[in-house]
Amino acid sequence: MTASAESAMEEAVAEGPTGSASAPRDFAPIAVVAVLLALVPLNFHDSGSMMTVIIAGLLFLSYTIAFNVIFGSTGQLFLCTGALAGIGGFASAILSDRVGIPMLLSIVVAGAFAAIVGGLLSWVAVSRSLDTIFTGIVTLAFSLSYQNFILGRGDLTGGEDGLRIEAGGDTILDSQVKAYYVFLALAVVYLVLFKLLQRSHIGWAFRALRDDEVAAELAGVDVTRYRVYAGLIGSAMLGVAGAIFAHHRGFIGTSTYSFGKVDVRVLVMLAFGGIGTLLGPVLGALVFTILDEILDSYAQLREVLYGVVTVTLFLGFRRGVIPTLGSLRDKFVSPSGRGRRPTKPGG
Amino acid sequence: MTAVVLDGIVLGLQFAILGVGLTLVYGLGGVVNLAHGQMVVFSAIVIARLIDKGASTLVAVAIGVVAVGVLGLLIDLTLMKPVYRQRGESRVLLGLLLMLGVGFIIDGILEWKYPIEALTIRISGDPIPILGVNMRRGSLIASGIILMVGAVLVLFFRLTTFGRATRSVIQDEEGARLCGVNPATVRTVVFGLSGVLAGVVAVTRAMSTPVVSTAGVDLTIFALIVAVVGGLGSVSGSFMAGVLLGIVNTFSAFYIGSYVTTIVLLMAAAVTIVVRPSGLLGEKS
Repeated sequence: MTASAESAMEEAVAEGPTGSASAPRDFAPIAVVAVLLALVPLNFHDSGSMMTVIIAGLLFLSYTIAFNVIFGSTGQLFLCTGALAGIGGFASAILSDRVGIPMLLSIVVAGAFAAIVGGLLSWVAVSRSLDTIFTGIVTLAFSLSYQNFILGRGDLTGGEDGLRIEAGGDTILDSQVKAYYVFLALAVVYLVLFKLLQRSHIGWAFRALRDDEVAAELAGVDVTRYRVYAGLIGSAMLGVAGAIFAHHRGFIGTSTYSFGKVDVRVLVMLAFGGIGTLLGPVLGALVFTILDEILDSYAQLREVLYGVVTVTLFLGFRRGVIPTLGSLRDKFVSPSGRGRRPTKPGG
Repeated sequence: MTAVVLDGIVLGLQFAILGVGLTLVYGLGGVVNLAHGQMVVFSAIVIARLIDKGASTLVAVAIGVVAVGVLGLLIDLTLMKPVYRQRGESRVLLGLLLMLGVGFIIDGILEWKYPIEALTIRISGDPIPILGVNMRRGSLIASGIILMVGAVLVLFFRLTTFGRATRSVIQDEEGARLCGVNPATVRTVVFGLSGVLAGVVAVTRAMSTPVVSTAGVDLTIFALIVAVVGGLGSVSGSFMAGVLLGIVNTFSAFYIGSYVTTIVLLMAAAVTIVVRPSGLLGEKS
């Protein structure tokens, strides 16, 4: 990693509690990430299989940022990221291929569709004041219902055989290199959106909620409303990402958005990088995409190694890498007393 | 109609004991054991391998159940140590992620070494009529074992000192510590017990359906749903939820059929949680 990226990363971590930093400082890390990622195809553009891998990496980056908006910002454990992306993917595919509306419009409608579903889930969870685990279970139940619905309504979704999608055939999404930049743009937009949300008064409410829900409520923060906002926005992001991927790939099946393929990995990526941080998803997606590619050559041992690495990484970085880097910097670099709060080993 | 209800109860008892194993560990230490289903399969494959090698079914079952109990003890004594040093949500999250990793490892090993292995325990003999329905012997014996294990568990938690100590830790870890109960010991023993219960699931389930080496994830999900619907930390709640969900499952399979069954089951669970977040018999925290 270059020195500039590293310092940018620390910048993001050290962002003051007041959020009063100027706009250029806030968005510089995103620009650095965008430029670095934009250079990637220069190395790999003639390897089709490598492009497939790194496009999937970018897709997961987008998923993880969206999940970060919901879970990282407001603590709602949505175990249905795959299902929401799948709703976007299948809805967009069916709308464009069967109903015949233009691809771009179908993606927007699909995003809106996912937003409504996710917003409803969030509203139910919040209005019944379910805690992390319970929100997790309800959304997990929803995920599995979605999966069964896709399998059951094979007439519409292709069921076990999957669904072939024509609409993306002769568009920008057809070429891998161009599609790479589409997904990169999407991820960058999501990062900007995440940062904008953090800077806005919605972000203030999010932070207040995370730090102390009761105090926030007493101070007049409408807990329900802001949680549902996060659910709506994050779900829309998932739906749109899932829809674009469907048109790029030209084929989706039950496994494309399954719980095991999407939710588990998104959770691991975010928890590894750092929940609630701007660059956590970037780091998580990067590390686990590379790891996946390395483990791929071990075929049968792949899942075992994935498990071993996951366990080891979490034992090493309990709070995620980005927060750990941040407190290390506070400890060793910060000249003033500001960052001197000790890092409590094991809380 | 009666047949459907009875089948539902047989299936529900298996769900129940599956949920109990998960609920105890969560109630005690806040660890959501996302590898619980994988532990069931681990036990099943150990037993199946031993039977293949010529061991008698009884010996194989005994070894398989003890083996998964030891696995539970080992997980608690090693991986879970750093988890228990955390508090609150960060403990829940770290425990969940680590056990997810353990699940990958067990699943991966099974898929790599024994992809087509499955455990079936055949109980010979004619069906026995109950309420005018011919029930298979295997199902009845399985249900009998589960009811016995459940009764022993309830008595254990009510009558023995260790059982009471366990309940005290579930209610209030700090208070229990002040009364001289060591939560760490209780947690270790209960993680081992949860492993043994996973072994019981493997054995009883194998009496009616083959337990295949890839079943781990599904079993974990069922365990989660039952534990949450029953109320986390409550043994009797898990039994109630398990039987209830078992009946819902066979009913919708019989009258509605196909994929709608699972959706109905899942929605039943979701609605229970939404209406009663503490679960059927759970205590409000």
